[in-house]
Amino acid sequence: MKQASTGTDSLDPVIHAPARLRIVATLAALPDGDTLSFTRLQDILDLTPGNLITHLRKLEDAGYLTSETIGNGRASRTSIALTHQGRVALDAYTGALRALLGGL
Amino acid sequence: MQEIHDIDETTTANDGDELDPREAARLLAQTEREAKRQFNLSPPWITAVMGAVILVGYVALWLSTRGQHPYSGPSAGAVVLVYVGVAISIAVAAKVYQRATVGVRGPSVRQAQLEGVAILISYLGSPVIQGAMKHYRASHAIVYGVIPAAAPLIIVGTTVLGIAASKADWPQFGAALTVVIGGVVALFVGPSGAWLAAGIGLFIAVAGYAAATGKRLGHS
Repeated sequence: MKQASTGTDSLDPVIHAPARLRIVATLAALPDGDTLSFTRLQDILDLTPGNLITHLRKLEDAGYLTSETIGNGRASRTSIALTHQGRVALDAYTGALRALLGGL
Repeated sequence: MQEIHDIDETTTANDGDELDPREAARLLAQTEREAKRQFNLSPPWITAVMGAVILVGYVALWLSTRGQHPYSGPSAGAVVLVYVGVAISIAVAAKVYQRATVGVRGPSVRQAQLEGVAILISYLGSPVIQGAMKHYRASHAIVYGVIPAAAPLIIVGTTVLGIAASKADWPQFGAALTVVIGGVVALFVGPSGAWLAAGIGLFIAVAGYAAATGKRLGHS
């Protein structure tokens, strides 16, 4: 395991992946309570829909974000928001990263 | 995430097991910077352009009234120049707002819309005072010089000051306070000088706000 050798055990594995880190950091830039559409998030991150969905599901399973869809079919709109737990997890991840880099 | 299950999921998600802490820190900082840029309602460049437009407009008003005895008001050309500048600024600001908020919903968007309405309503206070002054036969210098130059700055500036204080947005608070001070100074420097004082006050406020927000975005 390379992760162990680089001392990344203290980093939340749910966030410690490039795509998920970018998703969480992007959603955290919005004020608390605001939601972002799936399409805008995809545009900003330049990810394929399938890839984005997979990462979103992992984050949602961990309780770090919520999603809501309004409407059906082509007219549907999916909104994604970071939960309080997600913000706390990002703060903890950032703190752990700082500690890790300070010690390197 | 039931609602997005029907989208193609054949692409495998890279979990990034090899992500180095330094690389993670760099990626995090870069993403935060890019996200703030994406959602920013007042990018420094547009604020700086608005500052330049304001300065040119108010200097034109000042130049067209300088040395008038008795004071008769700005020339039609200067007024048209200001209106064109204001129209362009509003159009650009609306475009930037629309781009920044596309796909974003929630309390902050509603609050920004309400703030816009509050600022617009407060701006209407200036022509109302101007009309009242005219009604009571105040001089041309007051009705078409001091009041239209100073009143919008004091009224709108005070409104923005309250909004900024409620959000603890200190760059905006400082800019609004500078606008109010510019308006107060404009009240006491005569009808022609009022345009110059108002223009300088607005320019300092807008340029200072652009510098502060630019610094904030650069440091994030």
